[in-house]
Amino acid sequence: MSDKLLHAPLDLDPFASAIPRVDDALSRRINADPESLERGLAQLVLTVVELLRQLMERQALRRIDAGGLTDEQEERLGRTFMELDQRMAELREEFGLTEEDLNLDLGPLGRLL
Amino acid sequence: MSTTIAEREVALVDLVDRLLGGGVVVAGDITLAVADVDLVYVQLRALISSVATAQDKGLLPRMGDAL
Amino acid sequence: MIELYAITDNPGPPLPELAPELRLVPFDGLAAVCTPASKAEVSPQTLWHHEEVVEALMADRDLLPVRYGTRLDDEAEVARAMEGRSEELAAALDRVRGAVELSVRVMAAAATPSPPDPVATTSGAEYLRLRAQAEASREDAAGALHEPLAALARESAQGRPRPPELFRAAYLVERGAVDSFVAEVGRLQGESPGLAVLCTGPWPPYSFADR
Repeated sequence: MSDKLLHAPLDLDPFASAIPRVDDALSRRINADPESLERGLAQLVLTVVELLRQLMERQALRRIDAGGLTDEQEERLGRTFMELDQRMAELREEFGLTEEDLNLDLGPLGRLL
Repeated sequence: MSTTIAEREVALVDLVDRLLGGGVVVAGDITLAVADVDLVYVQLRALISSVATAQDKGLLPRMGDAL
Repeated sequence: MIELYAITDNPGPPLPELAPELRLVPFDGLAAVCTPASKAEVSPQTLWHHEEVVEALMADRDLLPVRYGTRLDDEAEVARAMEGRSEELAAALDRVRGAVELSVRVMAAAATPSPPDPVATTSGAEYLRLRAQAEASREDAAGALHEPLAALARESAQGRPRPPELFRAAYLVERGAVDSFVAEVGRLQGESPGLAVLCTGPWPPYSFADR
């Protein structure tokens, strides 16, 4: 893959700071203390999955309101989210996590969900 | 050597923005025609895959058919 | 499942060999370029590989890149998805014909000191006001790069800068004008020691493909 940088400043550091965010978006590495790995890992992963599920659901509803989807598409969307919601509930139960457990406290930034 | 890695990673930021936020939008399976949600969809699939992988590796208790 | 890469003219040059599974689904003088969907999880590697394929196509033809991760059941579903869109897509393809996309992002240069600390006697509100002013003038300086660059491009699309970015935009530049565009970026960087200017590309016209 040829170099995509056509012009770069001598010091790439200001741009390198954006990289951890991309990493978060793509990375599947999760560091956790081995002892609490299971539950902590599940909590972290399920929290993010729940966040994304909610985001997607909200976007889907907005899209449906805006119109432009066929009945079949709306039906598939609805069924998909129903299934996702059900899976989330099953996963939470599996790990003994409540909905509140997935609402991580981010301190000054507030609650996640 | 480290310069090349940094350069490639910096270019990755621009690549991700484009691939996941731009391009022609085609009504696919669950792909929605809203930029942010497409990004979310790809991430969601990756995360769901990763939970399944974590399960395979014995990092999580056995799950049912849910996932 | 089928994964989409791009929309091109049809007929066109032979498909590149680097991706032997590439197929065309034709519709109304255009074609959707696709492969069987891979099972790989999303990663920088899969993204770069996808990009390689699109750029190999772009090397000898004009195209509209399709958003990454667009998957449909089969070629029949691809054909259905394209129904009624050929006019719109043909117009979009004409818009980007003969051009590529360049990305420009601007940040404050690493060595730039943070906004000068106001005198100790100023109030908190005054401090914030001074910080906001300094920030605004940095953003203005970054935004001032846009006009001379836009003048060298067929089209441009400013994005919302993500802090600490000061400015970001995509430019649709004639294939033959990329070098002079990059030279202009270099010149503007030289005039702005307080800014760090990054220009990447050429990219397929992702930011100009679907309005």
